[in-house]
Amino acid sequence: MNTTVKISINGEPYEENIPNRMLLVDFIREVAMLTGTHVGCTYEGVCGACTIQLDGEAMKSCLMLAVQAEGHEITTVEGLAKDGELTPLQKSFNEHHALQCGYCTPGILMNMDEFIKKNPNPTEAEIRHGLVGNLCRCTGYAHIVEAVKDAAEKSA
Amino acid sequence: MSDKTDEAWVGKKFARKEDHRLTTGRGRFLADLSIPGMLHLTFLRSERAHATIKSIDTSAANALPGVIAIYKGEDIRDKILPMPQPVVQPNLSARFPKHWPLAVGKVKFHGEPVAAIVSRDKYVGADAAEAIVVEYEDLPYVGDPEKALEAGSTKVHDDWDDNLIFEMGFTGGDTSESQATNDAEVDEIMKTADIVIKNRFRVQRCGMTPMETRGVIADWDDADGLVAHITTQRPHIDRLGLSDILDIPAEQVRVISPRDQGGGFGVKAPFYREPILICWIAKELGRPIRWVETRQEHLMAVSQERDQINDLEVAASKDGKLLAIRNRGIADCGDGCEGVYWGFVMPFLGAVELPNGYTWEKGDVKLKVAVTNKSCLSPARAFGEFPTRFAMERSVDMIAKRCNMEPAELRRKNLIPELPYTSVCGEYMDSGDFLKVWDNLMKQADLPSFRRKQEEAHREGRYIGIGFGLGVELSGVSSELMVPMENQPGYGAATIRLDARGKAFVYEGDAPQGQGHETTAAQAVAHAFGIHPNDVVVVTGDTSTTPFGSGTIGARMGSYFVSAAVDASEVLKKKLARFLAHDLELEDATEGDFEFKDGEIIYIKDPKIRQSFRDACNRNIMAPINLPEGESAGLEHTSFFEAAKPMIAFNADVCTVEVNPENGQFNLLSWTTSEDVGQIINPQIVEGQMQGAIVQGISNTIFEEFIYDENGQQLTADFENYKLATAADVPYMRITHAPTPCPHTPLGSRGIGEGRPSDVPGCLTNAVCDALSPFGIEITELPLRPDKIWRLIQDAKSTQAAN
Repeated sequence: MNTTVKISINGEPYEENIPNRMLLVDFIREVAMLTGTHVGCTYEGVCGACTIQLDGEAMKSCLMLAVQAEGHEITTVEGLAKDGELTPLQKSFNEHHALQCGYCTPGILMNMDEFIKKNPNPTEAEIRHGLVGNLCRCTGYAHIVEAVKDAAEKSA
Repeated sequence: MSDKTDEAWVGKKFARKEDHRLTTGRGRFLADLSIPGMLHLTFLRSERAHATIKSIDTSAANALPGVIAIYKGEDIRDKILPMPQPVVQPNLSARFPKHWPLAVGKVKFHGEPVAAIVSRDKYVGADAAEAIVVEYEDLPYVGDPEKALEAGSTKVHDDWDDNLIFEMGFTGGDTSESQATNDAEVDEIMKTADIVIKNRFRVQRCGMTPMETRGVIADWDDADGLVAHITTQRPHIDRLGLSDILDIPAEQVRVISPRDQGGGFGVKAPFYREPILICWIAKELGRPIRWVETRQEHLMAVSQERDQINDLEVAASKDGKLLAIRNRGIADCGDGCEGVYWGFVMPFLGAVELPNGYTWEKGDVKLKVAVTNKSCLSPARAFGEFPTRFAMERSVDMIAKRCNMEPAELRRKNLIPELPYTSVCGEYMDSGDFLKVWDNLMKQADLPSFRRKQEEAHREGRYIGIGFGLGVELSGVSSELMVPMENQPGYGAATIRLDARGKAFVYEGDAPQGQGHETTAAQAVAHAFGIHPNDVVVVTGDTSTTPFGSGTIGARMGSYFVSAAVDASEVLKKKLARFLAHDLELEDATEGDFEFKDGEIIYIKDPKIRQSFRDACNRNIMAPINLPEGESAGLEHTSFFEAAKPMIAFNADVCTVEVNPENGQFNLLSWTTSEDVGQIINPQIVEGQMQGAIVQGISNTIFEEFIYDENGQQLTADFENYKLATAADVPYMRITHAPTPCPHTPLGSRGIGEGRPSDVPGCLTNAVCDALSPFGIEITELPLRPDKIWRLIQDAKSTQAAN
């Protein structure tokens, strides 16, 4: 069964007739062709690579159907930089070498972008707990924690 | 951007060139690629561990709209050559099980591909997989490697006479007489030494599990042949393997590993069965096919390593001199059906590396590897040595205890004092200064102060402990080892092409997995030419444009590839120098009289004489007239770097923990390292490798375990049941350096990262045992879990009460 949905992604409206069972992550990747949002687990919501923001709140897009996003504003990693200007968080990930393969990075950026808005002055422990919904296999997390802390300071 | 700079780029922190695309969602991983007309492939995998396939009914699945084709083992067995094929077969004496990409006749592990569905989209593929009915007749499950080796065991491979895939002795020379003499000498030491300790060490099945799973996009054209995008660490080997097994002429096979790959850690190094089938189907159907592995498939079929039992016996004198080792290793290899490694190459190397950085005088080391009804072991960082090093580092601590010595002191006393050195298992260690690394670690550790704190803590009923470990890591793998071990060359190959605008293009046949090759290699080449790293472009992983390389494996980047790139740069610098000397009529000038700096080529004897690097390149490429005698135009060169002997890197670790004796839970309080990575090229990237490797080691040690039930059902095929360390589970690692430049590489660099997790399980477990020393607990099995620690404490308390 199909339904027509209206979803905004990074400010761009989409009106598409899609199968009801389509996951939001597949809508983002395969319909909107925004492949920065990744899939790292079998849709059990553990790895966090598919994290996006729904109306500004970090969410795992593999745990939602696309039809549930009807009428909502979605931001993906492609929507973070404005007019080519990277956010302090994106810059900080580069400066602190907070990514290696970069597969988990978009999800972490989307989660931490919201996190530092809500926690402008986080401690290391708070950042580490804020990251439990995102698995990273390469970095050991140390540089991610440093990058988030630095970005929070620069964003404040 | 073309910055002039007077800086040396080797040894300098430089923010990675890869990061812009990866932080803005513009990375291009395999699953992000598509080809017009592309179809999706879904595997139906076995629900049983060991069973005869009675029938496969695909009629309902075939009837689903959107299903294009379904293939079963019987459909392909006469059309695709079976494995093994010589190109992916080690030159070690072993058995290589015959197999096809889809199960033929029977299934041998839970997760083996049984059928492949080609469909218009992946949702339909999943529906079709559910609609296929397979009738199985169960066979006895072979799950215990020791029982698998007993006479009369059910056989995993029907055409074998038992379940032994590989057996080897590593000590005592090449003849059976010399080995017998050696074993008798070791036996004599074991009978007479002051201290002899024997333990059975077990390390569970776990692995490295990158965040990106595997995938393939195969496209066929009758004239051009096959183009296969594969998530792979070794595209050139995949190309040869596919050509041979699919009987496609080699010039018609091109393999591309995507520029962005989401981690490998060894998992993407084998020649797997899935790409064979997918490439064949693409040819058969004449349609592009994409397969993106699900995480469930990944955890069922690959990423499983370790899984060794090591019965290790060690002998020492009472003053703490290490004398001899005797080890009987048994590895559970799974079904053994996996090109290049066959499940036994990892335990093979683990046995070679057992002696670690100690001066064991004698050794008797033997290994048996059994096939079972589990997924074949696939490589994981700290390749094979994670279990043997756990056994070694734990044993060294136990000896120290018997000698009443600090484990740190005993380690220092027995460290290899001078290199080169060849271990009793034949591992050649080329260079470095182990004592310098160790002494640097001890400076960081401040052991006396920790012991005072520990005493105070014990008085308060708190249990804190300190643990040490050390690790010799292969710095690349020389041909001397690679040819027998994997039937592949060890050399690093790099092509450098300079263009008319003075930019450098570096071509690498290996396939990076996120380690930052584009940045590290750019720094090394920029350093050589005196240009900026942003003026250097590194191209990787496409067999049609890059020189042959055996793959991104075994820390080959900082050792072999970078060295080849530097060598190639030096050849081109000499050519540019000769042209400049000719054009400026510097009759006395030699190739060595020119310095490449700040984007200029400077005549050292008269620095006023100089030419911009760009003009020099332009002159050579665009104005090839009035050439020096015997010269031709063009600035391109390929170098093959090979060290005469294997090279190593070295590290030592110290960590501290606090254990709660009430429940066995423990906190990791600190972790400090001391590293010899030789000349560092980019310190930030090196630190990132170390941080990540240690956390992987901790995650393997504490959390990760693939569990098979009594029927061979794999119970841990998702991230809810197979737990990886999160940010909240680990502390910050303090990385320190005590480098000795490698004398065998042009920059003095060493390759690092691959073996780095190897001493983590021993180091961490040593700390826990040290914390619990009042109970006299010695842990010999992983994973290191609170429930097990709690039980050991309870047992120790009962024993103490009884005494």
